[in-house]
Amino acid sequence: MSERVGTLTRRNLLKTAGAAAGAAALGGCLTGDGTDDSPSGELSTAFGNCWMCSHNCGQKASVRDGTVVNLTGVDGHPRGSAGPDTEGTLCPKGLAQLDKTHDPKRIKEPHIRDEDGNLQKVSWDEAFQYTAERLVEFDENNGAETFLDATSWAETSIFRTVWRDLYGSPERISRGIHVCAGPTFVTGGMMGVGSNNRVPDYQNSEYIIAWGRNVLNSFAGQFEAKGVLEAIENNGATLVTIDPQHTITAQKSEEWMPIEPRTDGALALAMANVIIEEERYDEAFVENHTYGFEAYREAAAEMPPERAAAITGLDAEQIRRVARGFAEAAPQAGISVWTGTAQAGNGWKATQNITALNGLVGNVDRPGGLRLWKYPATASFGEVCEQDYTNRAEYKEPALKKYDEYSDYPVRHIEGIAHNLVPEMVENDHINGIVCHHDDPLKDGNAEAWIEAIEAMDLVISIDAYWNGVSRRADVVLPEATQLEKDTLGTGNWSAYPNHKWVTGAKAAVEPQWNTLPDFDILTGIADAMAGETGNDDWTIFQQWDSHEEFIDDQLSTLDLTLEELDSGETNYELVEEYDYEQYSEDFTFRFDLDQVDSFAKAAEEAGMDTAPEWIPPGTYGDSTSEEYPLEFTDVRSVFFSHGSNQPHERLQDQFAKRNRLSGEDYRGNYLYLNPEDAAERGIETGDMVAIESKTGSGELMAVVTQRARPGFVTAEYGFGQTSAITTGEDAREKSADGMNTMMLHDMQMDPITGQVDRHIAVDVAPAGGD
Amino acid sequence: MAVEEDHWVFYFDPNRCIGCHACSISCKQFHGRDADADDWRTVTHHEKGEYPEVAEVPVSMSCMHCHDAPCAEVCPTEAIEKRDSDGIVTVDQDACIGCKYCGWACPFGAPTYGDNGLMSKCNMCLDQGPGSGAGAESKNEQDDPIQPNCVSDCVGDAIKAGPQREIIKEASQAAAERFQSNDGRVVVEPFRGEENLDMVEHAATPEHAGD
Repeated sequence: MSERVGTLTRRNLLKTAGAAAGAAALGGCLTGDGTDDSPSGELSTAFGNCWMCSHNCGQKASVRDGTVVNLTGVDGHPRGSAGPDTEGTLCPKGLAQLDKTHDPKRIKEPHIRDEDGNLQKVSWDEAFQYTAERLVEFDENNGAETFLDATSWAETSIFRTVWRDLYGSPERISRGIHVCAGPTFVTGGMMGVGSNNRVPDYQNSEYIIAWGRNVLNSFAGQFEAKGVLEAIENNGATLVTIDPQHTITAQKSEEWMPIEPRTDGALALAMANVIIEEERYDEAFVENHTYGFEAYREAAAEMPPERAAAITGLDAEQIRRVARGFAEAAPQAGISVWTGTAQAGNGWKATQNITALNGLVGNVDRPGGLRLWKYPATASFGEVCEQDYTNRAEYKEPALKKYDEYSDYPVRHIEGIAHNLVPEMVENDHINGIVCHHDDPLKDGNAEAWIEAIEAMDLVISIDAYWNGVSRRADVVLPEATQLEKDTLGTGNWSAYPNHKWVTGAKAAVEPQWNTLPDFDILTGIADAMAGETGNDDWTIFQQWDSHEEFIDDQLSTLDLTLEELDSGETNYELVEEYDYEQYSEDFTFRFDLDQVDSFAKAAEEAGMDTAPEWIPPGTYGDSTSEEYPLEFTDVRSVFFSHGSNQPHERLQDQFAKRNRLSGEDYRGNYLYLNPEDAAERGIETGDMVAIESKTGSGELMAVVTQRARPGFVTAEYGFGQTSAITTGEDAREKSADGMNTMMLHDMQMDPITGQVDRHIAVDVAPAGGD
Repeated sequence: MAVEEDHWVFYFDPNRCIGCHACSISCKQFHGRDADADDWRTVTHHEKGEYPEVAEVPVSMSCMHCHDAPCAEVCPTEAIEKRDSDGIVTVDQDACIGCKYCGWACPFGAPTYGDNGLMSKCNMCLDQGPGSGAGAESKNEQDDPIQPNCVSDCVGDAIKAGPQREIIKEASQAAAERFQSNDGRVVVEPFRGEENLDMVEHAATPEHAGD
């Protein structure tokens, strides 16, 4: 990779011998005033795969005396750069890994709950033995099949082996489908493109629609933001943002469509109407590679731009202009869509209608369009495990599918679990325990009922780095080393390299801090204890590997690579296999109509929806605003935080406060954004504490009155407040963090097909009074 | 003595700034500064208009290492130096008496004051930590001078730094002309979207800096 941009040297600190004088100060000035002790040890470099949002941007760490003293990106990295010959960087979250590594607020020791109900520090041996005893007891009393695996945040694949295959639980809840963007993931799969409907081939695109996405700030790897900027600059690409709120992505767009929330499905159909009416679609692709076009055409015919304008609040001419621009640029036109249109009751149809546009213009797997991204062929667990074992969950059905109590929920035809239904399943004794690994289910919906459910469970195991709502309530707390403290292997599909599969790997940059362990070692420790407790040799299957690195090397063996090879040199990634566009077979079918997908056809019938694209108004499933609750609320993301786990970091809190021009306040929570019209009616000004209330919940947070907020629509960053990781030190373990857990407003609202939590809630807001 | 063209300057392209504050954070991490200390590199967000005709533009700014360096002019102990060798303005905290004259003199609010009352500010990562860099070898003498951390970690590739003659080559003609006519402080690319140009202008003029 080139390290020069033009004539300017862009090397980082550690590549330069000339930096030695500067580097010598590193580590000695970390206390803040730069006047204290001199550093002694050698400065070295190490790599990492950033896991702050789980999307694996490459990290280059400067390490001295076992301390990470600086972090930056890896040049040319598939996820953390714009591609070949470009700088690798880290976003604010990624930079915060430096602080996280040495954060004294982390959980430092294993804990188990004693007979008096208090958490006590124990050794790892005691913790593993106690965990095994409790798991055996749980299986005897409740059945292993009632133990919920909430470990999808994992950086190693053996979580699933332990909880599903060895312990025998078919209950698994994931961050992706269940609480992130169920409709986006599942429609893509059923329509024939997998979940590739989310991330287009930015680098080669001439027309990019950010649909309900603030892709320049809330990205799945920095390559997304960088790719959009490069497409604008290098290809002259048109960027269009469809979003009710003004964002940095809207700001940089040629067209911002400030759409009425939850009406994206109508807009997508109207765009199809224009494209079909004006015969701008790809007739050859539709003829040769699609199914259900007639049903799609009929639905689109019912949504002329004027009708959509009345529904969406947009201008009919703007709808025509964007439809034409997208179709004209196709196939070099792509749509970026993820959570924004999916976290709503009518999110299924919104996403189906949006995804359908790709099939209509025939951009599928063509440069600049919807790329059919591919994963590298690393070895699966089954391929590398030399010991036979019995899969104890193989013939077990999840409770949602098994019991009549859930027969009113169409989601049971599609998914094995739904986030909102877990409290009901606990009440029915169908779920009695949970292992939670960094997942933060108490922030993901139906929060109040979830808190009660966690407290009612017979066994709660928390594998985490912070004292949060789950770990504080757990029976067993296993403190995990964070990402730079362990060996990691990252793979993925979408990246800045549209023609290459890739892997990224890193050996631990520093030792596990305090008395923590990497997740691989925690799980193998539990397995060893279970082998002793049960006498069953299946639990010894991990003993064939002496270390996580050995296991990773086995995973990499199919690519003829080792972790050592990935981790050495100037970068920590490898482009492993090249693949071209349009590699789908002749009988590849893009489905507009999903009537051939039996599971969906059943769910749709029960939910009262069609199998073809269709307009379903907001409120059909989920909340409608009313006189009592006249505002629509939804929660949003910023560049500073991802999910519920970055909020404890003071640098992020402080810069978030600065970004909101409220750093002078003694408050580091989330903010409620509301339009001046709505604020004036209620006597609210920026900096006021406000109370927000829905039919089922309430909370308090600080107001930001801004013209960037749509009148009638209020938003707040999620992941704060009640049940958060504490920010004030271990002694204040039960103290809530600043701000509000937005999902305390939420109850059972969801997309009926995937069970995706519907985060649009009817609310009202009032001054909270007091300071 | 180096000519002015060898003096290091910052470059900022508002079209590529995504307002993410990575620059502010990486600056503080590199210099071992607390999260709540005043930023040496600050991102401000400038909003105008009414929904939906609303605009908000982020601007990232730090000490501009001005050619006329008013902070150095007023410093009674000569702790602040506008270096001939590379144009970087440094502060020697051993000589600083914490009088804050520099804070009053700087049009951009670049000087900050720590718990010890002494001034610290951006030194283009000549060295690490508040007050460091005074007496450090010229960037122009170093074989392969390091980039300021804010440049290395700019997600949008919006910030650059280097000798003026090199930076000007990378800048558009409009940015170069503007730089020459604006006291030669920082090279700023013209902002796409004429209707919002005033917002960047506003932020980059001394009387409104940091608004």
